[in-house]
Amino acid sequence: MKRRIELTVNGQDYEIEVEPSKLLLHALREEIGLTGTKEGCSIGVCGACSVMVDGRLTSSCLTLAIANDGKSITTIEGMVADGELDPLQQAFIDYGGSQCGFCTPGQIVAAKALLEANPHPSEDEVREWMSGNLCRCTGYYKILESVMAVVKQHEGVKG
Amino acid sequence: MLDFEYLEPTTVEEACTLLQSYGDEAVLMSGGAAVTMWISQRLLAPEAIISLAKIPNFDYVRFSEKDGLTIGAGARHRDIEMSPLVRQHYPLLYETFSKVAQPRIRYMATIGGNLCTGDPATDPGTSLMALDAEVTLTSTEGKRVLSLEEFFVDYYQTALKQGEVLTEVRVPPPAEWAGWSRIKFTPRTEEDFATVGVSVALKVRSGECEDIRLALNSVAPVIVRAHRAEEVLRGKRVTDELVNEAGEVAATEVEPTDDMRGSADYKRHLVKVLVPRAMRQALERIDG
Ligand SMILES: Cc1cc2nc3c(=O)[nH]c(=O)nc-3n(C[C@H](O)[C@H](O)[C@H](O)COP(=O)(O)OP(=O)(O)OC[C@H]3O[C@@H](n4cnc5c(N)ncnc54)[C@H](O)[C@@H]3O)c2cc1C
Ligand code: FES
Ligand code: FES
Repeated sequence: MKRRIELTVNGQDYEIEVEPSKLLLHALREEIGLTGTKEGCSIGVCGACSVMVDGRLTSSCLTLAIANDGKSITTIEGMVADGELDPLQQAFIDYGGSQCGFCTPGQIVAAKALLEANPHPSEDEVREWMSGNLCRCTGYYKILESVMAVVKQHEGVKG
Repeated sequence: MLDFEYLEPTTVEEACTLLQSYGDEAVLMSGGAAVTMWISQRLLAPEAIISLAKIPNFDYVRFSEKDGLTIGAGARHRDIEMSPLVRQHYPLLYETFSKVAQPRIRYMATIGGNLCTGDPATDPGTSLMALDAEVTLTSTEGKRVLSLEEFFVDYYQTALKQGEVLTEVRVPPPAEWAGWSRIKFTPRTEEDFATVGVSVALKVRSGECEDIRLALNSVAPVIVRAHRAEEVLRGKRVTDELVNEAGEVAATEVEPTDDMRGSADYKRHLVKVLVPRAMRQALERIDG
């Protein structure tokens, strides 16, 4: 039987009805129509479905929509503020961090979660954090370069 | 379409009562990382899911000199990794929790869910076993406390009886276990499950090994303690030869199987190599 739940997604409130077995991933894509969040492995390994739930990095393929009733979700679509790309999005464009683009939403959400927790990570910390986001195209170096470019921008405002 | 009730008790007592009344038909869910996957894959088709996520104060991480470390079953791996108490008093646990999967899984998965899965490839149970941790199981009948050796029964099987909830993990005070080491061997990728994992805790006084606890994961149907390898060192003056011998003995105490992370022979070989390596690291930490 369907259940009514409330989600705040990228600052906007939604009330939707979902089957109890519906994944948060599928609720976002099919009920709310935000298809930026991708489905890769469906078992928590690839990171394509990464979103933030109340600020915590989460695999939306490993959590039921009903388990997130009342929570606040950030997806890749929420990275754009007032029509301006997030610095991470711009860096992925500038440094070639995205090729086919399938993994990119997850990469950027994961990197965002890292920079919110720690604005000045070392390169090793970035590598370790991003180890949960697989990419079949870029060879990873350009992703690392993209994230580090934003870390360097933060260095200007270190304090 | 798979249908089930989704129940969200707000106390442990209520969770136990629900579990009691649904019996086999209900599945507990904590972080949900494993349960959700099993449901998606149709490995589970419960009548009810009982979520523990709405129980307040179920995710504490506390420390006292007298009782040691107590962790609520709902604490996520990330909570434990980031706890300054854990970092300060239990570096072995910090090292272990910070290498479980990757941050995304650590933000989701709880210690209760990890231990109750009973997967021999998991990491936390190994280091907790090396530190002599115990778990509290609560039901409508009351509580019982088990060591992790008693708790892990067989492949994906624990000592949890129907109607029981794992509520707390307790680790004794650390003071005397000055030597420690954790080696998680992951030749494929950083965030993988271990091909072999070794955790050791060591008490040494003037060159003599007073006590030792050695536990391994990914080498048997359960996370195991290598009792005979411990005996090689216990009460003896620690020498290089003895440390190597402990590795040889440990390799006879494991029952690895072939899988995509390596053949049984390879894993047994790794035990021979990694056990002495872990012991040397533990000894260096005492000297340093
Ligand atoms: C991609 C990926 C990588 C992983 N890598 C690692 C790794 O490197 N090392 C490692 O150790 N683990 C690893 N894991 C396993 C992971 O740690 C477990 O899946 C996770 O800890 C389960 O926790 P949970 O809170 O999500 O459990 P849930 O999915 O909520 O529950 C898991 C099981 O425990 C039972 N349960 C949960 N809580 C309780 C309780 N309090 N009392 C009684 N029963 C309970 C449930 O009924 C269920 O059977 C990985 C998992 C994934 C998906
Ligand atoms: S689709 Fe969720 S982690 Fe791969
Ligand atoms: S850009 Fe194609 S998978 Fe990463």
